[in-house]
Amino acid sequence: MKKILSVMVSVAMVVAVSAGCANKEVMNNSTENIAQQTQETAKETPKEEVKEQTLKVAAFEGGYGASMWSEVVAAFEASHPGVTVELTIDKKIEDVISPSMKAGDYPDVIHLATGRQAALTETLTKEKGLLPLTDVLEMTVPGESVKVKDKIVGGFTDTLATNPYGDGITYYAPMFYSPCGLFYNAGLLEAKGWSVPATWDEMWELGEKAKAEGIALFTYPTTGYFDAFTYALIASVGGADTFNAAMSYQDGIWEGEELTQVFDIIGKLAQYTEKTTVANANDENFTKNQQLILDNKAIFVPNGTWLPGEMAEAPRADGFKWGFTALPAVKAGGSGYSFTWFEQIWIPAAAENQDMAKEFIAYMYTDEAAKIFAKSGAIQPIAGVSANLEGDNKMFYSIYDNGAKATMGGFAATTPVEGVDMKTTLFDTVNSIVSGDKTVAKWQKAVEEASDKLRAAME
Amino acid sequence: MNKQKGRMGFIIACLSPAVILFTIFMVIPTINVFRMSLYKWGGFSNNKTFVGLSNFKILFKDDNFYRSFQNTILLIVIVTIVTLALALIFAGIITRIKVKGQDFFRVIFYIPNILSIVVIAAIFSAIYDPTNGMLNSILGIFREKDADILLWLGDQKIVIFSIAIALIWQAIGYYMVMYMASMASIPESLYESAGLEGAGEVQQFFSITLPLIWTNIRTTLTFFIISTINLSFLLVSTLTNGGPDGATEVFLSYMYRQAYTNSSYGYGMAIGVVVFLFSFALAATVNFVTKREPIEF
Repeated sequence: MKKILSVMVSVAMVVAVSAGCANKEVMNNSTENIAQQTQETAKETPKEEVKEQTLKVAAFEGGYGASMWSEVVAAFEASHPGVTVELTIDKKIEDVISPSMKAGDYPDVIHLATGRQAALTETLTKEKGLLPLTDVLEMTVPGESVKVKDKIVGGFTDTLATNPYGDGITYYAPMFYSPCGLFYNAGLLEAKGWSVPATWDEMWELGEKAKAEGIALFTYPTTGYFDAFTYALIASVGGADTFNAAMSYQDGIWEGEELTQVFDIIGKLAQYTEKTTVANANDENFTKNQQLILDNKAIFVPNGTWLPGEMAEAPRADGFKWGFTALPAVKAGGSGYSFTWFEQIWIPAAAENQDMAKEFIAYMYTDEAAKIFAKSGAIQPIAGVSANLEGDNKMFYSIYDNGAKATMGGFAATTPVEGVDMKTTLFDTVNSIVSGDKTVAKWQKAVEEASDKLRAAME
Repeated sequence: MNKQKGRMGFIIACLSPAVILFTIFMVIPTINVFRMSLYKWGGFSNNKTFVGLSNFKILFKDDNFYRSFQNTILLIVIVTIVTLALALIFAGIITRIKVKGQDFFRVIFYIPNILSIVVIAAIFSAIYDPTNGMLNSILGIFREKDADILLWLGDQKIVIFSIAIALIWQAIGYYMVMYMASMASIPESLYESAGLEGAGEVQQFFSITLPLIWTNIRTTLTFFIISTINLSFLLVSTLTNGGPDGATEVFLSYMYRQAYTNSSYGYGMAIGVVVFLFSFALAATVNFVTKREPIEF
């Protein structure tokens, strides 16, 4: 009897543990029904002409803080009488909104970029759950006489980061942008009399010089930062066409002559990478890798403009001064490249108050809103906004004025392919290249294989 | 007769809340996991496509899944064996031998168990730090000056053992207290007569203590399986995030990666089904293999 009991207890525990993660499911299913019912009753009541309406906005709280969002929302409410905005803002916004989204209760506007671990934006894209924003671009900016599309800096709405299906239709509106490139200690280079390399050959020369003094050429926070780095490198090797071909999984592109150079450069860079980098290249310890720059133990780190803010409190070497450069050119006389990373704002197709949601997105591009955002350091791709910057930020955003070319975008959306994840294959493997566990050739082959499988899933 | 009926009614009334809750929150979700594993679904929209066993077919060809499976099994085996041995030894020493400050040790050993896994991850990332970490500083005394530093979280050959060490460290106290509780209930007279007949401490441990707490050990074996599967996921997601390059991916972290990051919710559920069946089967096997006639005193 005792034995049967103990078996039953252990079985029950296993069941309990394994089933724990699925609890949400049932809850959601039952609330889904309720939500559907309420939606139906809402439809029955006819809408009045002048109405009180609520707009549900969900925003990701990034490094710029939460207060700028409350300010913008207050300004929006003031300029739109009768509209109440319910603002949800959180550092893990996907965890806050996705349970009710699964139950059919969607926010009307969501500000959340692609590339997050929970991949909510990508999931909705792959599930075809986004509203096209083509007519938002044609709208006039509220209170101004310019159209939205004319106010956004050219090029920002032509990329796979705004038109994820590659069909020319915009689904995400571009928000705060940040040039990504290589950060270094300008003070160190000055003191040693080294110049910032303009080509990769000069980069390797600098690597040897630095090695002689016990300084590593390169480090990276985590392999996730290789996205901007690799994208810029691809563009610098083959220009925009190769970049777009690679992002839309063109057959053989990853094993072609041009992209072989990309793999070779990263492979060579791996040999110049600081030894402890891999051990700290995780979410818990990545700041230790960034600290290597402040301690003069490594020269370059790929990152975005938020880095100086992130490391503001960290101790640093004497004479430390942030420097920022685009990726060096592949050939002498070529131009450097910098990837422009930006956050996106979008409307779920299941949003209830779509008209007001579009109005809200258009409002994001008013001078009034841009000013509030810029006060917190969040810079939108609106002509003229970056002109008023001061200090370090001015240097970061002027990277393109110094001859570097910009590249934007990201991988095209496909239907999900089970077990195949391009970003893991392409970026995480860098750790194995640095530690010598995998060869560059093997890595390249795996990327092409993943690309083949994803191409089949494109529509 | 009437009394009997009333008694039955009372039993049903007492049991039903638990049974209903258990069904709603445990049984139905479990069935749902099985059902969802047959669909291709991203998790949000209503476009669920029934794909039969296709998710499982892909799964059995997925090298990354096998790698995470191997890692999990390795962790279960190492953590169970080492923790079991150490917890038994410590429990034996503290209960049987008069050590100064017994209670103090009991508390000290138990402390890691109260700490949240996030704190444990922070402690161990400090211990494993390649340049200033405790482990490399101590090892540095014995190693040559210019020897390569050991990357506890960076070397793909050792990183899984680094995870295992952290898991063992946090588990020992809990199991030690459990074993101590059952060891304390063994009558002193058994040890006295064994002592008179010339059995040493070690022999007493193997011939008296171990057989008499056997039922307790069997129960804890099931706990080991369940807790290692769960805690390894928590520790891996905070400490290494499955890295470097998937070297510490365990099957729950792989399930998360597929269900969310890769937007393949149905595939994630298929992994869930395999995890469920595996842990179920493993627990049953362990229970069957360790079956002994219970010894009473």
